[in-house]
Amino acid sequence: MIPITIVAGYLGAGKTTFINKVLAETKSPLGVLVNDFGDLAIDHDLIQNDDGLTYSLNNGCVCCKLNDDTGAALESIKNKDISGVLLEASGVAIPIKVANYGLSWPGFSLNGILSLVDGQSVESLLDDKYVKTTVRDQLVQADRIVLNRHKKNIPKRLLELNSDIYTDREIQNYPEFIQDSFLSEKRIDDFQENHYAFKTSSLVSKESINKDKLKDFLSTNPHIHRAKGWIRDQQHQSWLVQMNKGGCKFIPCSYQTQNRMIFISTESINFQSQLINRFT
Amino acid sequence: MSETIDHLITVYKAKSIITMNPSLPRAEVVAVRNGYILETGTLESLQPWLSRHEYVIDNRFEDFIISPGLIDPHLHPSMAAVILPMHFITAMEWKMPWGVIPATTSKSEFDDRLKESMVNPTHGELFITWGHHDLWHGPISRSRLNAINSDLPIIVWNRSFHELCMNDGALEYLDIKESDVKTSSQIDFVKGRFYEMGLAYAIQKLNPYILAPEVFQEGLTKLKQVVHFGGQTTIADMAVGLFDFETEVQSQMTLYDNEETPFRVELVAQSAALSGAKTTTEAEAIIAKLPERNSHRLKFRKRVKLFTDGAFFSQVAQLLDPGYIDGHKGEWLSTPEQFEEATRVYWNKGYTIHVHVTGDLGLELAVDVLEKMQFERPRFNHGFTVEHFGFSTPEQVHKLAKLGANISANAYYLHELSNIYANDSVGFERASSMARIGTSFREGITTTLHSDFTMAPAQPLMSMWVAVNRINEKGKVMGEEECITPQQGLEAITINAARVLGLDHEIGSIRAGKKADFTVLAEDPLEINPIDIKDIRIEATVFEGKVFDIKSS
Repeated sequence: MIPITIVAGYLGAGKTTFINKVLAETKSPLGVLVNDFGDLAIDHDLIQNDDGLTYSLNNGCVCCKLNDDTGAALESIKNKDISGVLLEASGVAIPIKVANYGLSWPGFSLNGILSLVDGQSVESLLDDKYVKTTVRDQLVQADRIVLNRHKKNIPKRLLELNSDIYTDREIQNYPEFIQDSFLSEKRIDDFQENHYAFKTSSLVSKESINKDKLKDFLSTNPHIHRAKGWIRDQQHQSWLVQMNKGGCKFIPCSYQTQNRMIFISTESINFQSQLINRFT
Repeated sequence: MSETIDHLITVYKAKSIITMNPSLPRAEVVAVRNGYILETGTLESLQPWLSRHEYVIDNRFEDFIISPGLIDPHLHPSMAAVILPMHFITAMEWKMPWGVIPATTSKSEFDDRLKESMVNPTHGELFITWGHHDLWHGPISRSRLNAINSDLPIIVWNRSFHELCMNDGALEYLDIKESDVKTSSQIDFVKGRFYEMGLAYAIQKLNPYILAPEVFQEGLTKLKQVVHFGGQTTIADMAVGLFDFETEVQSQMTLYDNEETPFRVELVAQSAALSGAKTTTEAEAIIAKLPERNSHRLKFRKRVKLFTDGAFFSQVAQLLDPGYIDGHKGEWLSTPEQFEEATRVYWNKGYTIHVHVTGDLGLELAVDVLEKMQFERPRFNHGFTVEHFGFSTPEQVHKLAKLGANISANAYYLHELSNIYANDSVGFERASSMARIGTSFREGITTTLHSDFTMAPAQPLMSMWVAVNRINEKGKVMGEEECITPQQGLEAITINAARVLGLDHEIGSIRAGKKADFTVLAEDPLEINPIDIKDIRIEATVFEGKVFDIKSS
C-alpha cells in the first residue's frame, strides 16, 4: 500500500512551497499529484520533482467522474518505485472528499490530511463572504495544520478549530514530518460519522503549570482523545504539549506568556473549576 | 447555401408562420433563396419579388405551423456521446428518434427488460444499461444480476450517474478482484456496487470501452439525431474540453461538418481545460486563435466558459444563508480570487463570458465580480451570461438587469427536482422559486432556456413547457408567480437564445435577410393549451433552406 498524504489549504497557503521542501530533502522518491481544477496548470511547473513522478490534474467535469484525472494518475503511478504520494488539493477542495482516494483506491492508503494555513490571511478568510465554510472545513478536517507566515501568537480562532498546529519554524525535517501516518483518532471517527460525540474544551491561564501533574491528568483521563497547546511550568520553562492515543509529548519551546491548550474529549472539561488546581 | 448558388426562390406556405419579429409577428408564406430569407408575409405582399424572379411554391407545410428554428444554447455533446450508446432502462419515458423508450416502473419489469436486452452488448462485449433507480426498480446487487446472467458482462449504471453495479461476468471481464478492493473503500464487492471514489475506480477500468473512439462517434451520431428530433437548428457546446479538447473538436468537425447535418454548433471553450496554458492570459491567447479552425457549421467565437459553484443535481451549489436544511455545505469549483482574475482577463479583452452558476451564493459571486468589472472598465452589450440559474434572489436578478447580464436557465431543474428539494434540501420557498424566470423577464433581462443535455431532454419545447407551466414531476405547480407566457417561452428558445449566442442578426426570427432556419410544428405553441406544449409533434426542420424531415416513429 502506497501512503497518500493530502496537502490541502486555501489559495496562497504555501502548499507548493511545502511540497518542494519535502522533495528537496527526501531520500526516497515521491509521487506528486497537483490538482489544478479551476486554476490553470501553474503549480505543476513550480513543483521540483524527478521526471515522470508529477501529475497535473484537471477534473474537468463538474457532475460526473468520467474523466477522473486523479484516479488515472494513481493507476499510472501505482507501479512506479515510490515511497508515497503527495496529493496537492485545489485551493477550494474539501479535504475529506480528496482523502477518500487514500481510503478507497486499491493499492493506496491514507497517510493523513495536512492543511496549510497562511497566518496573515486566515482570520479574514474565516470571515470571508464566499469561502468561510470552505476554509473552516479545511481546518477542521485536517489531521495536522502547518501554519506559515504568522507573527506572535497563534490566532485563538484557529486553535479552537484545530489544535494540531505546527508552525513552519517547528518543522526540522520535512520528509520526516510526514513519514509516519498521522491519521488522527478524530479523523477515523469522522469517517465513522461520530464526530458529533466529541467536545472541544480550551484552557487559557496565566498561572504556571506542573508539567508532571498535567501529564498524569492527560494519561489517566479516559475521556480525552487529544490535547495540544503551550504551557509554562514553575521553572519558567515553556513547553509545546502534544497528546494523542499514542502518548503524550512535551517539547521545549520559546517563552510563552500564558498557557493555551485545547482538549478533544467525549465529555466537556470545565477548567474554571477546581480541576485546574490539579496541575498548577 | 454558400457552396452552391441557386437563384430559384422557394416559397413555403404554412397554416401560420410565427416570425418572432415584433414588427410583423405572423405571416402566411416565407420566400427563401440560397439559404436566406428574402421576405415573409402573404403571396400578395411578396409579389415585387415573385413577379421579377423565378420561384416555386412548396405546399408541404401548408397544414403546419412554421416557427424560427429552435435553439438550445447550452448542452454537452461529449457527455451525450458517452451516455447515448448505453441501453436506456428508466422510470421515465424517453422520446428518442429511434423510438419511444417506455417507462419501466417496477422491479420485475426492470429484470425482464434487462433479460431481453442484455444479449445485445453495447460496448464491445460489455452490456451497459443506464437509468436504474432504487425507488422504482428495487435495490440492485451482484447476486440479483447473477440470477439473470452471471456469465455475460453486465453493468447497471444508476440514473444519477453516481453509482454502478456489476455482475460476476463484468468483474471478471474487467479483471476486478476482491483482493484488490479494500474493505474501507466505497466499493461493496459482495454486492458489486461502486460509488463515489469506488465509482471513479470502476470508470477507470471502463474508460477504454466507454471512451473508445468508435463508441464516442456512435454517441455523437446519435446526438445528431436527437438534436434534429428536438427541432433544433442551432446548438451550443457550452464547455468544449469537458473530456479532451482536441478529441471533442476533431470528432465534431468530422461528424457534423457536412451537408447531412441539420444544425450548426457554436463552440465555447472552457478556459481551464486548455492544456498547455499556464495562466489565464495564455489560455486567452489560445482561445483567440480558435476561430481559425472554424468551418461552415462549427464555429468558435470570442466567448469563453467559466465556473463558480458545484453541480445542482449533486446538491453542492453554494448557498447563501440559511443554506441546506441538513447543514451540509456547497462547493466552489475554483477560488473566488481565481474566478475574478479569469473574468478580468476575458472582460478586458472584450469577450462574452458565460458563467456556470447554480446556487445563490455562487450567483452573488458572479454579480459582485461583474459589478467590479463594470466599475473598472465599463462595457455595454457585453453578453455576460449566467448559465443554469438554479437558486437566486429577486434582488440579485434586479442587479443582473442593472449590470446588463443575460440569463440562460435550466428550467427542467424545477420540473425534476423541486418536489424532492422542497422536502429534503432547501424547503418549499426556495425550491419553488428555483429558475426564477418570471422575475427575470419582468426585469427586462434577455432570458433563454437550455437543456444542458443530458441533464434534461434536448427538446426546447419541453424547456418552454416547464417555464410556462412550472409543473413538477408530481404534477404540482411550483412558484406560480414565476410562470412566463407562451410568447415569452417561445422568445426564450428562439430570438433570446440567438441574442445570448450573439447570433440575433442571423437567426432566431423569421425576417428578410436572416438564415432560413425553421422548425415545422403540428400545432401552434402560442394558441394551444399551454399544458400540451411539450407534446407538439415536430414534423421537420429547415436548415439554411434545406428541408430535413423527421420520421415519426
